[in-house]
Amino acid sequence: MSIAATPVHPSDHPRRRFTGALAVLAQRREYGLLVLVAAIVLFTGLANPAFFSPGNVQDTLVSFVPEAIVSCGMLLVIATGEIDISVGGLMSLLAAMLGLLASPTHANMPVWLVIMLTLLAGIAVGFLNGILVAVAGIPSIIVTLGMYTALPAVTNMLMHGQYVTDVPPALRFWGSGTFLTIPISLWTTAVVALCAMFLAWRTALGRRIFAVGSNPHAARLAGVSIVWTKIFVFTLSGFLVGIATLVTATQLSVIEPGTGQSLALAVVTCVVVGGASISGGRGTIPGALLGVCLLGLVRGVLIFLKLGQHAIYWEHAIQGALILAAVLVDHLASRRLGGEGHA
Amino acid sequence: MNNFFVPSNIRPSCRAGLMLLASAALAGTLAIAGCSKSNNATSSAASGKKMYTICLLPKEKDIPYFTSCAAGARAAAKQLGDVKLIYDGPVHGAATKAAAMIHKWTLQGVNVIAVSPNDPDVLAPAMKRALKKGVHVITWDADGLPGTRQYFVNQASARRIGYTLMDTLAKDIGPHPKGPIAIITATLTAANQNAWIHFIKIRLKKYPGLKLVSIQPSHDDQRRAFQITQHLLQAYPNLKGIIAVSSAAFPGAAEAIKQAGQSGKVQITGLSTPDDMRAYVLNGTVKSVILWNTHALGALTIRVAEALASGKLKPGQKTFNAGPLGIKKIVGHQVLLGPLMVFNKKNIGKYHF
Repeated sequence: MSIAATPVHPSDHPRRRFTGALAVLAQRREYGLLVLVAAIVLFTGLANPAFFSPGNVQDTLVSFVPEAIVSCGMLLVIATGEIDISVGGLMSLLAAMLGLLASPTHANMPVWLVIMLTLLAGIAVGFLNGILVAVAGIPSIIVTLGMYTALPAVTNMLMHGQYVTDVPPALRFWGSGTFLTIPISLWTTAVVALCAMFLAWRTALGRRIFAVGSNPHAARLAGVSIVWTKIFVFTLSGFLVGIATLVTATQLSVIEPGTGQSLALAVVTCVVVGGASISGGRGTIPGALLGVCLLGLVRGVLIFLKLGQHAIYWEHAIQGALILAAVLVDHLASRRLGGEGHA
Repeated sequence: MNNFFVPSNIRPSCRAGLMLLASAALAGTLAIAGCSKSNNATSSAASGKKMYTICLLPKEKDIPYFTSCAAGARAAAKQLGDVKLIYDGPVHGAATKAAAMIHKWTLQGVNVIAVSPNDPDVLAPAMKRALKKGVHVITWDADGLPGTRQYFVNQASARRIGYTLMDTLAKDIGPHPKGPIAIITATLTAANQNAWIHFIKIRLKKYPGLKLVSIQPSHDDQRRAFQITQHLLQAYPNLKGIIAVSSAAFPGAAEAIKQAGQSGKVQITGLSTPDDMRAYVLNGTVKSVILWNTHALGALTIRVAEALASGKLKPGQKTFNAGPLGIKKIVGHQVLLGPLMVFNKKNIGKYHF
């Protein structure tokens, strides 16, 4: 799917075989990830069969939902060569909106209206990010860093240091309800992932998104509007944060201002581990989703392996090792593809 | 769709306008976000009556626990009549920001700074400097390093909190409690929580049937506590109880037990405000919620600060008259708040904080 995919030149030189294999791995990251995820699941399940219980499988999948939905938007933003680190701050604001607007002791608005307003707010913040990046020309890391800082502060002002504890059942249905015995949040994630894959692989817009990231000059010459493409991906990212907030903040009975505090870092990590190039033009939705599974699994696995109370230190060490491994594979592969003389 | 993506060469004037609009929008957001009350420390009010400026610094400004302490502090300031109260603190508990606030207040020449240090080491230089400049410094809720404060308004000793948590969980599990239990904490480096866990472990020896199988950090993230509890319930199918020693972890952990249909089978207790746990106490997931009276803690802090500034509190005093809060004991340089409160189905309706 990726336009930037440079073909791997066959090489007989034995010294190049190792980096050649890495190049294949970098381009076919999904397969490597799939094997790794399957191996971890199998190993943990054999060590502790409770890991395979239907309840745990469902809980584990549901725990992936926010990162999975937001990573679809993030992947497309990163594909254009930009980044959106405002997602966590936006989630905290949107969660506060959901709670404060719907709670009977606060605004007490009808649930459908609350959902519409929250999604619109997500779209609006995403659109503003897009305008600031694409039209005003401010680097996306600065724009979204500003939002990342400003939005939680707005959340705190709205919530006055209180939690919202009376979220109405009609709203909580989105986070804790089921349809055909499967949680709404999993259905939503599946729909979002399928739509994102369709967008990336089967539409002209999807091709333009990757074209903008891999070679903006050529894309411009080919008649692609870089400005509108970037505004679109940022707006989509904001909208998906809205969707993710709707199905995850409502899973808990208490809405607190700290929702989504470490989301941006987690999602960018998942997308990059999933094979996306941080400089744009390359990456796939399945790769990003496998990245979410891999990094999300680490948390539960450490409990199921009963490694003791200090296992949490391992979680960060393992996640860090995965990030470094992903970056290393990319780096060595790009050296291989760049040929001699390019570092 | 095609029209939407035709190449658009935006005119320079239009671009400049948009840029202006956009930066204005961002600046607006930042201005709203950053607006904090600018306080000028004044020692005397217009009436001529001697006024004391007291700064109350929480670990984290945005959580209900400190919000309710602040409400008690405000009420006490109003009752005393000679206190100008400034309540401000870092949003996500950044210790460096707390240190910057202490610096700022020292320069403004306030009378008392009451600190709940989330990182005593980081705050120590700022607190010492304030003392040197003649500002009274006390700690509340959590203590600082030796030599950084004059008094510590202590809600309860770590021993009492740890023992009460362990005894309450054992009582909620039932007579002759037996089986695995787990602890969900804030972070593995949080000083308060680690002290409480230390005493929970000591008290655990009284209950030979119970076995502590896991201590998990929640990073004060409710969702994280929820997921960890789900995993714990699956990994230890015969789990008997959980102690949540972080007020952010408690509701998340209780929700996981409720959604798993384990209410009543797996007991959970911990530290939180009655408002945040009310629903779980009423639906039977949680039998007991433990906390000190946060209103009284805030009020006592302000009363100690005011007495220190006005010279009413003298070194060597063994008791402190806290007005409507009663006579409080002073042990060393610690003013003790008094007993812990246990909220349950019977009494939770009476408390709103």
